[in-house]
Amino acid sequence: MTDAAPAIFVALEQSGFAAAVRQSPWLYPTANVGHVVSLIFFAGAITVMDVRLLGGLGATAPGALLARARNFAIGALAGMVVTGFTLFSAEASHLVLNPVFQLKAVLIAAGLVNVAIFEFGAKRAVEGLAPGQSMPRRAKIAGILSLGIWVFVAACGRSIAYF
Amino acid sequence: MIRATALSCALALLTGAAFAHHGWGSYDAAKPVTVTGPIVTSKFENPHATITVRGGDKVWTVTLAPTSRMSSRGATEKVIAVGQTVSAYGYPSTVEKEEMRAERITVDGKTYELR
Repeated sequence: MTDAAPAIFVALEQSGFAAAVRQSPWLYPTANVGHVVSLIFFAGAITVMDVRLLGGLGATAPGALLARARNFAIGALAGMVVTGFTLFSAEASHLVLNPVFQLKAVLIAAGLVNVAIFEFGAKRAVEGLAPGQSMPRRAKIAGILSLGIWVFVAACGRSIAYF
Repeated sequence: MIRATALSCALALLTGAAFAHHGWGSYDAAKPVTVTGPIVTSKFENPHATITVRGGDKVWTVTLAPTSRMSSRGATEKVIAVGQTVSAYGYPSTVEKEEMRAERITVDGKTYELR
């Protein structure tokens, strides 16, 4: 525990929940494995969506494919949030000061902003497209940004332990 | 944008060590130390167990292994209880003073490998 962190993170680390995560022989390892398993599904769903936005899987109707993959992505993201919060709480005061964790948080925010821009913008134009029709430029930009950002989020996540 | 993101991430990874606060990459394996003395505090917790050891006039924080590995190697909560005399061989942190990561510990003549 470090007092250098903002009080809310010190309080989180001192909470009963965080103490339970540290003291349980199985909670932390389970959250750890759950985080990686959630990542597998999240990355898979996101990749399907991004590849479609970039014009791949062209024989499919984009509206139906994106809707299906989106459900997987949302479920997997929920799993990542729950398991990630569990892991974070155990060492919150240290992690929040970790530069790679901070970068990861910024990149997650950037990834979610990219999602919002697509969902409230290009999505409408993309949904109605027939198989084989070319994607609007905005959709391609969203797809390439998404792939890049989420790969870096994963790389940062793995790197936290080494800084 | 992608290139900028890539650059900033790479930069953070390269410079991170310079201002890292706590982590696994920041231990100097070239300068191993052995700290011997009584255990002052003991936390048998995840993600890794931690003890503090009075060695001479210093109190070292010794980072051990995850609790499941500690148990499977026989280094249970009782073995690292407060008051036990321990000899910890490991690597000093390059960031925090008097903190080390233990490669192995010896208690009551028995050595426990923690890698």
